[in-house]
Amino acid sequence: MARIQLENVKKSFGKVQALNGINIDVKDKEFFVLFGPAGAGKTTILNCIAGINLPEEGMVRFNGEVVNLVDPAHRNVAMVFENYALYPQMTVYDNMAAALRSNLYKTDEETIKEKVHAAARMMKMENLLERLPSQLSNGQKQRVAMGRALVRTPNVFLMDEPLAHLDAKLRNAMRTELKEMQANLGSTCIYVTHDFMEAMALGDRIAIINKGEIVQIGSGDEIYYMPCNEFVAQLMGDPQINILPGEIKESGKGYEFCFQANGQKLAVPMPEEKALFQNIRRAGLKETDMGLRPQNVKYSFTPKEGYFKTTVYSYESIGNKSVIMADCGDYQLRMIAPNGLKIQIDQEIYVSLEVDHSMFFDPQTKEYVSRYDEESIRAFAVEQEVR
Amino acid sequence: MAGLTLKHVFKRYENSGKKKQQKNDFAVKDLNLLCEQGEFVALLGPSGCGKTTTLRMIAGLEEITDGEIYIGERLVNNLHPKDRNIGLAFEDYAMYPPLNVYGNVAFNLRAKGVDKGEIDKRVREIAPLMQIDDILDKMPVKLSGGQKQRVNIARAIIREPELLLMDEPLSHLDGKARQSMRVEIKRLINKIKCTTIYVTHDQLEAMSLADKIAIINFGVLQQFGTPSEVYDDPVNEFVASFIGEPPMNILETTIIKDDGTFFFTFQNSNLKIAVPSRYYSVVSDGFRCKMGVRPMDVLVGGEDSKGTPEEIATFENLGDERRIGIRVGDMLLMLITEDEKRYRSGDIIKLEVREEKTHLFDIETGNRIREQG
Amino acid sequence: MNNGKKRLGYAVQNLLLIIYAVFALFPLIWMFIISLKSDTQVFTTTFVFTPTLSNYKEVLLRSDYVSYMIDSLIISGGAVIVSVIVGVPAAYALARYNFHRKEDLAFQILSFKFAPEILVVLPLFMIYQKLGLYDSYLGLIWVYQLISMPLLIWVVRGYFEDISVEIEYAAQVDGYTWYQIFFKMLVPLIKPGLVSAALLAFIFAWNSFTFPLILAGREIQPITVAITKYLGTDTAHYGQLAVAATVSAVPAMIFALCIQKHLVRGLSFGAVKG
Repeated sequence: MARIQLENVKKSFGKVQALNGINIDVKDKEFFVLFGPAGAGKTTILNCIAGINLPEEGMVRFNGEVVNLVDPAHRNVAMVFENYALYPQMTVYDNMAAALRSNLYKTDEETIKEKVHAAARMMKMENLLERLPSQLSNGQKQRVAMGRALVRTPNVFLMDEPLAHLDAKLRNAMRTELKEMQANLGSTCIYVTHDFMEAMALGDRIAIINKGEIVQIGSGDEIYYMPCNEFVAQLMGDPQINILPGEIKESGKGYEFCFQANGQKLAVPMPEEKALFQNIRRAGLKETDMGLRPQNVKYSFTPKEGYFKTTVYSYESIGNKSVIMADCGDYQLRMIAPNGLKIQIDQEIYVSLEVDHSMFFDPQTKEYVSRYDEESIRAFAVEQEVR
Repeated sequence: MAGLTLKHVFKRYENSGKKKQQKNDFAVKDLNLLCEQGEFVALLGPSGCGKTTTLRMIAGLEEITDGEIYIGERLVNNLHPKDRNIGLAFEDYAMYPPLNVYGNVAFNLRAKGVDKGEIDKRVREIAPLMQIDDILDKMPVKLSGGQKQRVNIARAIIREPELLLMDEPLSHLDGKARQSMRVEIKRLINKIKCTTIYVTHDQLEAMSLADKIAIINFGVLQQFGTPSEVYDDPVNEFVASFIGEPPMNILETTIIKDDGTFFFTFQNSNLKIAVPSRYYSVVSDGFRCKMGVRPMDVLVGGEDSKGTPEEIATFENLGDERRIGIRVGDMLLMLITEDEKRYRSGDIIKLEVREEKTHLFDIETGNRIREQG
Repeated sequence: MNNGKKRLGYAVQNLLLIIYAVFALFPLIWMFIISLKSDTQVFTTTFVFTPTLSNYKEVLLRSDYVSYMIDSLIISGGAVIVSVIVGVPAAYALARYNFHRKEDLAFQILSFKFAPEILVVLPLFMIYQKLGLYDSYLGLIWVYQLISMPLLIWVVRGYFEDISVEIEYAAQVDGYTWYQIFFKMLVPLIKPGLVSAALLAFIFAWNSFTFPLILAGREIQPITVAITKYLGTDTAHYGQLAVAATVSAVPAMIFALCIQKHLVRGLSFGAVKG
C-alpha cells in the first residue's frame, strides 16, 4: 500500500527520448491506468516505478520517500509482464510461490500453500497448479502471471498490458473478472493498456500518454466527454468520433455551424447555450473542428426535415450494434445503427447531426475549446470521482 | 465467375507418427456447402477447427479424402491448383521482394505469357480499385501492412478468377488499419462481384463482411446462414456463444411451474424469468436445460419496474456503453446499457429480461430446443 | 493409386542414405578392421582375415596407454571446466549488456577458431619455456581452452539471448538477487545448450594434436601425441596404431551417445545466432 509519485521523470535510450518529464501522483489504493498508443512510453514508466529502469532525471517516490536508488527487489512491487515472463522450468505452483521463497520475502511453506491456493481460487485455475507454463494456453498463462502477483502484498501492483495477447472475447471476459477482483486487490495498482475499453472500465483515473509525455489525466468520464485534444478524442470510443471541419458563423442572435458534404454547403443552427457561446467568443473561434460521437449522428432512409442527403459507404456489424459510414466526399460520417438492417452499399441515406452533443476543437492546434453542457458534465465527472 | 459446391467432403490426415489416434480423427467431416455465384461466404471457427484445411482443399493445395468439390459445374477434385481458376490471398502476403508493386501484381499474367499491352491494361484497371495506383513503382519492403495486403488482394483478383479465396488476410494488421481494410474489402467485393470464400477466426470480421457464414467446430459444420440468422437464431450453444461480443449469456436453469406459469429459476439466485408461452409444449415442471439471452436483451428497469431486484457485481463504463454484471449462482449475467446512469458494484437494480428473446439449449448436447410446430 | 510410386520413392531414398552412411563411416570401419589384424595380414588381406586380439593386448596391457588416456582426460576436461566457469558469464555479458565494441569483442573471441594453430604454436613454445609452463598440465589446459572457449561462448550466448529479459526482471521484482537469478532461473534454462556445447568443446580438445605435440611430450602425453609412438622410425605397427586410435575414440562416442538428445536439441534450438 503506497502512494506513488513521479516527479519530472526523464528517461532516454540512446538517442531516443522515451520519457520526457512525467509527473503523476497515484493515490494510495487507487487503480490508475496508463493509456496510449504503442511506443508511447507506458512500459518505461512502469519499469521506472519497478526499478528496472533508472530515470536520468526526476524522482520516484513511494509514500513520499525517494526510491530512485532502491533496487527492484527491495521496492516490494509485484509486476505482471506483457509476455507473462513465467519461469519456464517451474510448475505453476512454483511460479506463484517463487516470490515468497526468496530470501527477502521468505514465508513458511504452509503459508505459501495457503496463499497460492487462495490466489489460484481467485483466478479460477486451481486445476493448473501442477502444469508447466509450456502446457498452458495464452489465457491460462495470463491467469498465472496475474496469480503470481496476487500472492503478494506489495506496495503497488504494476500490470503491463496483461490482457493484450488474448483474443477479443477472452479479453473482455477477463476484463470483467479483473473489475470484479479490483475491490479485493487492497493495494495501489498501476495498469498499462492500449485498449480504451480496459482503460475506461478499470481506471479510477486514466493518464493518457503520447510520445513520452502526459497528455491528459482524469476520470474516464472526463476524458470521454472532455478530451483535451483531437488525439485523445479519437482514442476514446469505438467507432471513432467524427471530426467535421467547418466554420462557426453568426446568424441572428446565435450561431450556425457551416460545413461541406459532397460539395454541398450545409449549415446547422447551433442551439443557444450561453456558456458555450461565451467560450467560442473568448477563443475567437471561427474555423473549427467539430467532434461528434457516432451515437449522436442520426439517419433516415426517407427525406426528412433537417437531414441532408448522402450515400452509404459501408454498413458493418461491430457485435451488438452496427456502424453505418456515410460518404461525405472528403470524409466519412460514422453513425450507430442496429444489427440486421437491409442496407446496400451506395444507397441513399439522410443524415442529421445532433449538434447539442458536439465538442469543438481549434483546427490549428487541435486543442479542445469547449462543448455543450460543459458545466454539468464537469460537475457530473467530479461527483463520480468523489464517490 | 461461378458458385462453389462442396458435397460430403472429408479430410483425414494420415499419421505416419507413432501416436495412437482415434479412429474418427477427421480434420473435416462430411462438409456440405453451397455458395451461390457472387456470394461472400465466411468460414468461421476457433483455431484448429478445420476451416483453413477446407480452404486449402478448395484451392487444391490439400488432397481430399472423400467427397466432391465443384467450382461452377466443374468437378475439380483432380485438378491442379493452377487449373482451378482461383485467386488466393493469404495471411502472410509473401511478395517477391526484388519486384516492385507493379511487377508483383503483373507476375501471374507474365508467367502465363499474356502480352505486355494486355497486362498493362489490366494492372492500370485494378490499381485504382485497390487504391494502389500511387505506389505501383514502390518496392515491397517500403509498404505498410495495409498496403501490402491491398497488393496481395490485387494480385489475387487480376487473374479474374472464378473464385477468390482469402485466409485471414487482416490478421497481421493492427486495430485501425484492420477496420478500414475491412470496409475496403467489403466495397471491393461488392464492386467486382466475385464469389469469395473468406477464412477467419474473428466473429466480428465474419459478421461485418460476409453474406453468409459457415460456422465450423471440430471439423463439423455447425450452422450455415446469413449473419442475422446465426445471430438471432443459433442452432446450438456453440454458435450462440461464438457469435456476438459480449457473447450470449448462457445459464443453467431449472424450470418450475407456479400458478400455471412456467419460470426459469437458477441455483443460488432469486432471479425468476417467465418462460415464453411458445415453449410451453416442450417444457415441464422441474425441466432442466440452459437458457440463453443476449446482453442487449437484459434491461435495467425503472423505479416502478416489476423486475427482480439484483445486486450489481461489476459495472464497467466503456464510454459508448456501460456493461453490468450480475451474479447468478456462480455465473455472471452480463447486460449492456447505453443509459447515462453510473452504478457501483453493490448497487441494487431491477432486472428485466426480454423473455421472448430467450433461447433454450439442451443441457447435455447443447442443441437448441425449439418450440414445436 | 500413388502408393506404389510412393513406396518406390522411399526405397530409393533409403538406399541412397545407406550408401552415404557406408561412405562416411568407411574410415572408421577400416580402422576397426585393421585393429583386428596381425601385422602381416594388414598388408596381405582386405576383408577376409583371421581376427586377432593381440594388438589390443599389446597396446592396452603392455604399454602406458592408460596413462596417456588419463592425461588426455585431465587436459581436455580441465579446459572444458575452465571454459564453462569463464565462458558462461562471458556469454551472459555478451547477450545482455550493451557496451562499447561488443560485437567486435564477440567476433574477436570467435576468431581464435579461425587462426591455424601452427601459426601461434612457435611463439607459445618460447613463452612457455620461459614461464616454465612447458610440459605441464596447467600450460596445456591454458592453451586448450583456446579451442573450447569460443565455441562455448557462442552457443551459450545464443541461449541467453533467447531467454526473455522479462524473466530476469520478474525474478528481481520477486526479491531475488542477481546470483540467485543466475543460478536458479537462467542456468536451468541454458542447460541443454551448455551441455551440448561443453561436449563438443571436449571432443575438439580431445582431438587436438598440434598444441600437445609442440608444448608437451615428455612428462605429459595426451593420446593424440602418444599414438605416434606406434610409428617407429623403422617399423610401423599399423595394427597397434589402429587399436590406439579406436580406443581413443571410445570416450567421445560414449559421451555423445549418452547425451545425444541434448546434443540434437541443444544445437538446433536457437543455438548459434547473430
